Amino acid sequence: MDKIAEIKSAFDSEISLCETLQELQELKVKYLGKSGELTVLLKSIKDLPAEERPTFGAKVNVLRGELESEFSKRSEQLKQMEMQRRLQEERVDISLTSSQPLGALHPVTLIENQISELLVAMGFEVLSGPEIETDYYNFQALNIPSDHPARDMQDTFYVTDSILLRTHTSPMQARHMEKKKPPIKMICVGKVFRSDSDASHSPVFHQIEGLVVDKNITLCDLKGTLEYIASNLFGKDTKVRFRPSFFPFTEPSVEVDLSCSNCGGKGCSLCKGTGWIEVLGAGMVNPFVLENCGIDSKKYNGYAFGIGVERIAMIKYGIPDIRLFYENDQRFLKQFGK
Amino acid sequence: MKIPLSWIRDYVDVNVDVQTLCNKMVDVGLEIEEVVYLGENVTNVKVCQIVDIQQHPNAERLLCCKVDVGGEIIPIVTNDHHVKVGDKVPVALHNANLANGLHITKGKMRGEESWGMFCGSEELGINGDMYPNADSDGVLVLLETAVVGADIRSEVGIDDYVLDVGVTANRQDCNSVLGLAREVAVALGKTCREPDLSYAEGEVETASLVSVDVQATDICKGYYMQGVTDVKIEKSPLWLTQRLAKVGLRGINNLVDITNYVLYEIGQPMHAFDYADINDKQIVVRRANDGEKIIPLDGKEYTLNNDDLVIADKSRAVGLAGIMGGANSGIKEETSCVLFESATFARKNVRRTGRRLGLRSDSSARFEKGIETYTNNVGLSRALHLVEQLGCGKVTRGRISIGEVAGNRTITFDKRRIKSLLGISIPDERIVSILNSLNINTTVQQKNIVTCVVPPYRDDITRDCDIVEELIRVYGYDNIKGTLMEKSRITCGGKTTEDKLIDGVKNVLNGLRYNECIFYPFAGKALYEKASTRPVDDSLYIKVKNPIGEELSLMNRSLAPNMLQCVALNLSRSNKNLRLFEVGKAYLADNLPLETLPIEQKRLSVCATEVTFEEFRNDLLQVLRSVAIGKVKLVRPDSDVLHPGISADVFVEGVDVGHFGKLHPQVAANFEIEADCYYAELYLDKLFELARGEIKYQPFAKFPSVSRDFAFLCEEEVAAQDVLDEFLSLPLVESAELFDVYRDDKLGTGKKSLAVNVVFRDRNKTLQDADIEKQAGKALRNLKEKYNVSLREQ
Repeated sequence: MDKIAEIKSAFDSEISLCETLQELQELKVKYLGKSGELTVLLKSIKDLPAEERPTFGAKVNVLRGELESEFSKRSEQLKQMEMQRRLQEERVDISLTSSQPLGALHPVTLIENQISELLVAMGFEVLSGPEIETDYYNFQALNIPSDHPARDMQDTFYVTDSILLRTHTSPMQARHMEKKKPPIKMICVGKVFRSDSDASHSPVFHQIEGLVVDKNITLCDLKGTLEYIASNLFGKDTKVRFRPSFFPFTEPSVEVDLSCSNCGGKGCSLCKGTGWIEVLGAGMVNPFVLENCGIDSKKYNGYAFGIGVERIAMIKYGIPDIRLFYENDQRFLKQFGK
Repeated sequence: MKIPLSWIRDYVDVNVDVQTLCNKMVDVGLEIEEVVYLGENVTNVKVCQIVDIQQHPNAERLLCCKVDVGGEIIPIVTNDHHVKVGDKVPVALHNANLANGLHITKGKMRGEESWGMFCGSEELGINGDMYPNADSDGVLVLLETAVVGADIRSEVGIDDYVLDVGVTANRQDCNSVLGLAREVAVALGKTCREPDLSYAEGEVETASLVSVDVQATDICKGYYMQGVTDVKIEKSPLWLTQRLAKVGLRGINNLVDITNYVLYEIGQPMHAFDYADINDKQIVVRRANDGEKIIPLDGKEYTLNNDDLVIADKSRAVGLAGIMGGANSGIKEETSCVLFESATFARKNVRRTGRRLGLRSDSSARFEKGIETYTNNVGLSRALHLVEQLGCGKVTRGRISIGEVAGNRTITFDKRRIKSLLGISIPDERIVSILNSLNINTTVQQKNIVTCVVPPYRDDITRDCDIVEELIRVYGYDNIKGTLMEKSRITCGGKTTEDKLIDGVKNVLNGLRYNECIFYPFAGKALYEKASTRPVDDSLYIKVKNPIGEELSLMNRSLAPNMLQCVALNLSRSNKNLRLFEVGKAYLADNLPLETLPIEQKRLSVCATEVTFEEFRNDLLQVLRSVAIGKVKLVRPDSDVLHPGISADVFVEGVDVGHFGKLHPQVAANFEIEADCYYAELYLDKLFELARGEIKYQPFAKFPSVSRDFAFLCEEEVAAQDVLDEFLSLPLVESAELFDVYRDDKLGTGKKSLAVNVVFRDRNKTLQDADIEKQAGKALRNLKEKYNVSLREQ
């Protein structure tokens, strides 16, 4: 009987000395293992008189229960202590904030994406079209015959007498209308070419052409659409102003100014003191163009606009020189990343 | 075009300041490019009268004058000994500014007070066309009529604005003072006076002097001629030369000046022939003979062809139609009889001839914009009126008129068209008043019928939409209120599949830290040569006929040249760790010169520095797999831009979709790229054809897999992927990966050891060792046979 108490007492003092799970495990083997003290004790049951055996067995089992419970209690304690210790020890310097930046889209793409997204939500298809284009689609189909003075408006790069680098994205108006009948809502996005080069002109730049043809399309709809784009790009207080202009493929034709996003219309160096910035040309599709493409100009009206993408990006991001877009200095490009 | 405000005032009473005027002109569609006040640089200079002149006490070459500034007498020291007491002269007073940039202040000259300076014409920025005697040096002695004390600017004609007005291509009628005056009148709500076209005819019949035969009627729509006899060639009056000076022309003589004046005022180019030089009393308007020669007034000889139009007498050309008169028939001092020509020559023809010969003039510039036959008569009459006004001679009787004169045009349309285009209505009385102010006589009748009578000089107005534009530009675009297509049908929008794939590729590249570039899609031969180890055959390239320079003349056949130039630029600016890509195009022609449009093949170029081959390959494979599924195979390429040992051609499902690798050292040297640089070019069009289809869910494998490692010994040149492929081709192999390459002298020279991990799995049952032995055994046999690859002894 004393043996049980003896074991218990020895165990109590030993377990309190266990400082690691490893030691605890060893202790567990010592007492509860195959040849542990309790196992040995239990085996000694055969030396007892038969009538004492049940009581003895029960007592040993109670002891085993107690020991196991002590073990798990101590184990839990040690785990907690171990975690506390690690929490004390495991520390990193979390202060650094630099990271490898993701790559960036080119600012021209950013503007193209932003405008496309707005117009796609309004039901516009997004197309691109050939950059090497025929004289027919670039000019004639758009009411610009070969001797028209409007050809002087755009300095054209020619490949042959009848093939050229498109001077605008407008050829897609004609190409699309030949294929698709109203209702039409499309934009054409891409490179265009003019033989012109200085701080505000590049021989290559990007345009977004918009075209809508259906019944009941009006100049008010053109203005509303442009106001929607302008307010999303430059803030909801941005105003849109039409001024009379001329394009052979629209009638009436307008130059479109936006209230200066830099000064809010008060006048600054960006808007040359006028409070307005000229950003694009637009108008109602000339019935000649509709008819050239087989659309009944008595039934249908349309509007069209052509946005200079670099121009918008220069205003929006404050880029001073169009040549920066094509130099592709990585310090420039990275500024448009996340 | 440049016009002096004073000239506009001949036709319209301008009662607003110049800034308001400009704003109103912009509102009706005229672009104001520049406003110049001619007297801007001449301030505080006054008309003064000399009242006393004395020799300077200390300097022999100087005079001390006393001048009347208009009440006050001030001292001026001058070195001009021509001045006399009583002369009226321009005096720059204290703090005056002068046209040549001088700033004048009070001071002493050799001890004598001088409160300013006498001015000559140069200091006032004028010449003899602006003021009498202003072509001579020294102090400008003003006219008797000059008012003492007055600002010099009004005396010498520089108290005036010159507006540089941008005219849109449809409004050829506005390339004249009269045309702009009409628009100014509309903008200000004023009426525009008509030019005085009156003149008296003399006794001599025009028809007795000359007959005109227009043979090329297709390119000469109108030809009008009338003469002047008893001609006195002399200098034009000041008011006329002043106006010409303000638009940048020098006065020549009265007859020539009249033609220039009419060109600017009415917009009609005119020519004056010396009648004495016209042989056989005959003018013929004909196409030039091939090889025919002419010497126009510029004195150079030009060789013509059958596309050119000439004015000729019976035997020779006397003028290049619409461009320049012949040197053989120009106005001379002794000219006594003149023939005025006023005509319409086809703009296409004038343009083509002018460009071919490199010969342009004010006249040809006008003809290129288009001249209405209506203007021929107006211009001629105005010229004859000026002849009479200036007293240059007697106008001949009768006019030779060939060609039809454009009359009024009537346009009738439904009033509802206005609202259908504009989205707003305009009240009837405004419709009528606006159009009438534009000389478009308009009535609105019952049942919404609008009838407009359009004057002949408005050849841009042919349809109802043109009338609507006239209405809204005067009514005001501010009346247009934005709406969002509430009455149109709903359409389904979106990007094309291809554009979505491109967006996806860009996204992946951004995630891999690459930045998007955009380049010009053309370059010069020299750049293509730098980007290649082989000679460049520029006959394969689509060529721009009229490039800005040779370096921008050949359309891309590869994206490498522009990308590598960009890398070189970035490195030269000490930008490191370059990660760049471009989605661009190669323009590939089936045959040249182009007869049909070429293929524009979408391509992706990717470039990186400070990476390893493995890292770059990994980036590329991620881009590939983001688009296309299917078996990728990398093989050694035959590339003109990449390092032969460290680059690969990429095949997906057997289709060549591009190449990547380290830059060829020769190409790198050409661009002075010293950093390790890796370049890839992928053919997106081909890749997109292999784009992944719909995703189908696969259930997880139920049975366990078995992983085995193998160590192989093989020759150095054995491709690791070939070894892996032997396993991957087996049905029970799930994956095979290389996890180590080992080289050691003990293995033998030119040998390497490959450590490969293979995962086997049967989707239908638990694998047995025997199954694995069977599968692996097959692979091992093949490896031995094909590549002499054997298991390494442990």
